Amino acid sequence: MKTVTTFLLACAAAVSLTAPIVPLAAQNAAPAVSVDGDIKSEKTVPDANGKTSVELVDPASFLPGDRLIFGQNYANTSAEVVTNFTITNPLPEAVRLAPDADPALEVSVDGGKTWGKLSALSVTASDGTTRSATHADVTHVRWVLATIAPGTSGRVAFPVIIR
Amino acid sequence: MTKHARQYGPLASIIATALLAGAATPALAAGVTAGTLIENTATANFEEAGTPRSVDSNTVIVRVDELLDVTVTSLDTGPISTTRSDAVLTFEVTNPGNGPEAFLLTPEAAVAGNDFDVTIRGVAIDSNGNGTYDEGVDQILTGPLTTPVLAPDARVTVFVLVTVPQTAADGQTSNVQLTAAAATGNGAPGTTFAGQGQGGGDAVVGSTGALADARGRLNSAVASVQLVKSVALRDPFGGTSAVPGSVATFTIEARVSGSGSVANLVVTDAIPAGTTYVPGTLALDAGTLTDAADADAGTASDASGISVTLGSTAAGTNRSVTFDVQIDQ
Repeated sequence: MKTVTTFLLACAAAVSLTAPIVPLAAQNAAPAVSVDGDIKSEKTVPDANGKTSVELVDPASFLPGDRLIFGQNYANTSAEVVTNFTITNPLPEAVRLAPDADPALEVSVDGGKTWGKLSALSVTASDGTTRSATHADVTHVRWVLATIAPGTSGRVAFPVIIR
Repeated sequence: MTKHARQYGPLASIIATALLAGAATPALAAGVTAGTLIENTATANFEEAGTPRSVDSNTVIVRVDELLDVTVTSLDTGPISTTRSDAVLTFEVTNPGNGPEAFLLTPEAAVAGNDFDVTIRGVAIDSNGNGTYDEGVDQILTGPLTTPVLAPDARVTVFVLVTVPQTAADGQTSNVQLTAAAATGNGAPGTTFAGQGQGGGDAVVGSTGALADARGRLNSAVASVQLVKSVALRDPFGGTSAVPGSVATFTIEARVSGSGSVANLVVTDAIPAGTTYVPGTLALDAGTLTDAADADAGTASDASGISVTLGSTAAGTNRSVTFDVQIDQ
């Protein structure tokens, strides 16, 4: 099984013509959606009315404890409607999900096997005991959109803290 | 075949995650090690005209900067009680930052409020890691006083070797300060040294300012000896006149005060001119000593005078030596 999987993966990576996983035309065409990621930090700046607003800026430093915003900008550049659109973002080892992340965010704490809101997930320790999952346990976040209309774009983002 | 692709897709992403987990970042109190790359890539899955497609985002890579911090602690359990001699103060320098860093050490003897200032003989690193200064084993630093490069969360014991001056009086105190500063630089928290961080990122001063100090304290424990000599006269007529034939009883009281003890204390006195030692009258604390040089502490003779060896004598001790002389006829 593993050999076959590796083989298929290798073929997919090489966009091999000998692996007709999907119709050839679609395989070769540019994907309808582009995804452009960025890493920002939030900066609170005063505006003209004496209130403050939050701007996304390029982080001045990347230090343990710093809060960053991981963002993905997606755009449907095709003339077709895209359906069942899912963006999955594995969290790099060096960061954890920030405690102020949207509680409704769909997350996984087991490497992307199971998904749900953080409050509904639990972690099983090696001794068999379970506990409620915390922000530091999150391994993946994802967003699911039913459709993206042609020519439309959007942005999804989540806050992390450098461990 | 399409079915196969769907089936193996999730499996592939699990394998990829497992590989990522293999390159785990060490869990440190100081946080992710400086120079670590944070690489973020998202994957989009969707259906395009009913056909499943997958596209990866660009990978955004950022490098973790180095946090410069330091703490210094005195490891002495309390003030070090010392005589007018050499003493050793023990400190610990810790790297709470997230990158390997060496620290510049500055010992300072002249601290405000000191009763006396010590002379600093040197600064040594606890080379064998036993927490105690070992002459000839622990490396005495020369040139710029710099610790070895300390890994994140690592610590090193530093000895400051001092000499207490002769002027230090009993009960006086002195503080010795050790300052450690990150070799890369220090300053107000947030100060950035561009490109100087471990692994090629910036070095950024943390909450400690990358500069810290601690003080060790010395208590001067000096014992001092005071000799008080008195004389009582008895003349041949039952009075106290100094006439030929009168007997003079000399008392030499040795008072050891201060703290600690004195070593090799010997009380000596000459027989005054015009008088003669009365044999067998030498006594220590009312216990008679023989005149001969023998097992007891005293010797006495006309020619050499008296000598009483008290040896090591603790502060707070009073010893009394008495002997008689007769005024020559």
